[in-house]
Amino acid sequence: MKILVIEDEQALLESILAYFTGEGNICEHASDFAAANEKISLYSYDCILLDLGLPGGEGLELLTKIKQLKKRDGVLIISARHSLDDKLAGLDLGADDYLVKPFHLSELKARVSAIVRRKNFDGNNIILFNEITVDVSAMKITVKGNQVMLTKKEFDLLVYFLSNRNKVVTKNAMAEHLWGDEMDMSDDFDFIYTHVKNLRKKLLEAGSADYLHSVYGIGYKFGDI
Amino acid sequence: MKLSCRYNRANILTSIVVLIITGIIYYVVIHFILTEKLDRDLAVEENEINQYVNTFHKLPLPASYLDQQISYKALNGTVSEREFLNTIYFNPKERENEPGRSLITVVHLDSKTIEVTITKSRVESEDLIRIILLITLGITVVLLLSLLLINRFVLNRLWRPFYSILNGMKSFEVTRMETIEHEPTKIDEFNELNKSVNAMAKRVRQDYKELKSFTDNASHEMMTPLAVINSKLDSLLQTESFTAQQGSLLEDIYYATGRLSRLHQSLLLLAKIENNLIPDFQHIELKEMIEAKSRQFQELLEKDGLVLTEKLVPIEIKMSRYLADILLNNLFSNAVRHNVSGGHIHIKLDEQALTISNSGKSSHLQTKIFDRFSKSVDSEGLGLGLAITKQICNLYGFRIDYHEESGEHVFTVYFTD
Repeated sequence: MKILVIEDEQALLESILAYFTGEGNICEHASDFAAANEKISLYSYDCILLDLGLPGGEGLELLTKIKQLKKRDGVLIISARHSLDDKLAGLDLGADDYLVKPFHLSELKARVSAIVRRKNFDGNNIILFNEITVDVSAMKITVKGNQVMLTKKEFDLLVYFLSNRNKVVTKNAMAEHLWGDEMDMSDDFDFIYTHVKNLRKKLLEAGSADYLHSVYGIGYKFGDI
Repeated sequence: MKLSCRYNRANILTSIVVLIITGIIYYVVIHFILTEKLDRDLAVEENEINQYVNTFHKLPLPASYLDQQISYKALNGTVSEREFLNTIYFNPKERENEPGRSLITVVHLDSKTIEVTITKSRVESEDLIRIILLITLGITVVLLLSLLLINRFVLNRLWRPFYSILNGMKSFEVTRMETIEHEPTKIDEFNELNKSVNAMAKRVRQDYKELKSFTDNASHEMMTPLAVINSKLDSLLQTESFTAQQGSLLEDIYYATGRLSRLHQSLLLLAKIENNLIPDFQHIELKEMIEAKSRQFQELLEKDGLVLTEKLVPIEIKMSRYLADILLNNLFSNAVRHNVSGGHIHIKLDEQALTISNSGKSSHLQTKIFDRFSKSVDSEGLGLGLAITKQICNLYGFRIDYHEESGEHVFTVYFTD
């Protein structure tokens, strides 16, 4: 997929680019309003990551512009402003999602993937990974043609892993993804382990290879190796 | 009591008192004048009788007087004094008893002393007084009524700009940028009031804007470095091979970063609630929200083997959905966190209150439990959850209560104060 990252914080920008690059993704970036404006006018992207506080202009104006140009680019707002007004304003203007800083890169990737899937497949929302096929809109999973029955949480977890394949995903990020970051259960994420264990067991039983690996006790990695 | 009502009351009370007093004075004075006139007429008659007696040396015939009645009585010995008095006498013309005024005097005729009583009808003067009294009363009533009407209509109209300003102030919302409108009026006080109110509203709006931009900036400035740390950690994790020791160091850093960002978000949230910066105000089906929240916490409950029982009545309350979610979240996670393994949580919702009670170790925080950063020693939380909960309750006029009862911690949120 082709992604434009509009972010003025250089360090953050680099991390995002590093995380997204690879697997056939093309990432471009803009660090200020003018550059972003130019790129938006000239090219089309699968998804635009838009920071609201930009030097040289207001991020929401860029969003308005994207909609004026009638582009089909998906837009994900990333903002440090944990403000309901901004969130509602952004979504009203046609943004697809809103993520508050600080966020986990895995969460960002999962959300971007979801937006791109929605845009590209128009309801026929399918993720393919080796022998695993996930129909996201129908919530159906098949491994080598065998259907796998998963709970809602296990399903969400699998989609999350597939969006972040070959990346280490922390338990913290997984918990926030599944239960929301307002949960404030701070550190004890042992209950994540149960879900991962069940998911792995069900996939193995259906005949998939073992893709789930625990990493340093911090998190998990889903992918070949 | 309304100003106009108060004013009316004072106005009408004084009017009535003044009118009654003038009425009494009026009556007494007129009465006095008329009696005086009657007495003068009687004295004239007496004089005529005296002259008649002096000239003709005999008494005039009583029948020769048309308007008065005269009677004679021979006196022997005692001589009564000349006096005026009110009597009731028989008027042969009208054939009825009438009130009259009499003069009793003495005439000396040929060494005889004769008592003469001259009586004159009082009916006419009484009638006159009655008519005057009625007219006065009539005028009084008309005057009072017109006063009342004038007060009601004129005052109401006069005060209308005031009430329109008042309504404007009542519906004033700091988030909306409109000025307080009022009906155009020529009254200086109201114009000045409106001007001051709008000036105040402007200052308030200015402060609100500054506060909002400060909150935004503070949030932005602090969140950005945090976001960088977080993303760098995520990136670091993707690089190859760590030892287990490095892994556990990374985990600690993750933990601290997560805690820091949650802490910061909580503090910002508290500031926002305190300054009423959360505008989204809507009807909320609390029962549904609680049920959803129970599902969300299910894994956590299962992990500690907690048993959740619910007794919920569908009710609707008015508040921000966002804050309602946070309120429930805090109460739920509090009940889970301070529970014992295999314990229970009981939730009860009715029209008046939401009660969440849970088993747990006894704490002795009681009074400080809702303070910021107050928490039990072994708690993993930030110590802000209940402070936020309390602040949300304050914002909507709810009352939150905590007590410990036979090993149970009971939190109750009363929806009315």
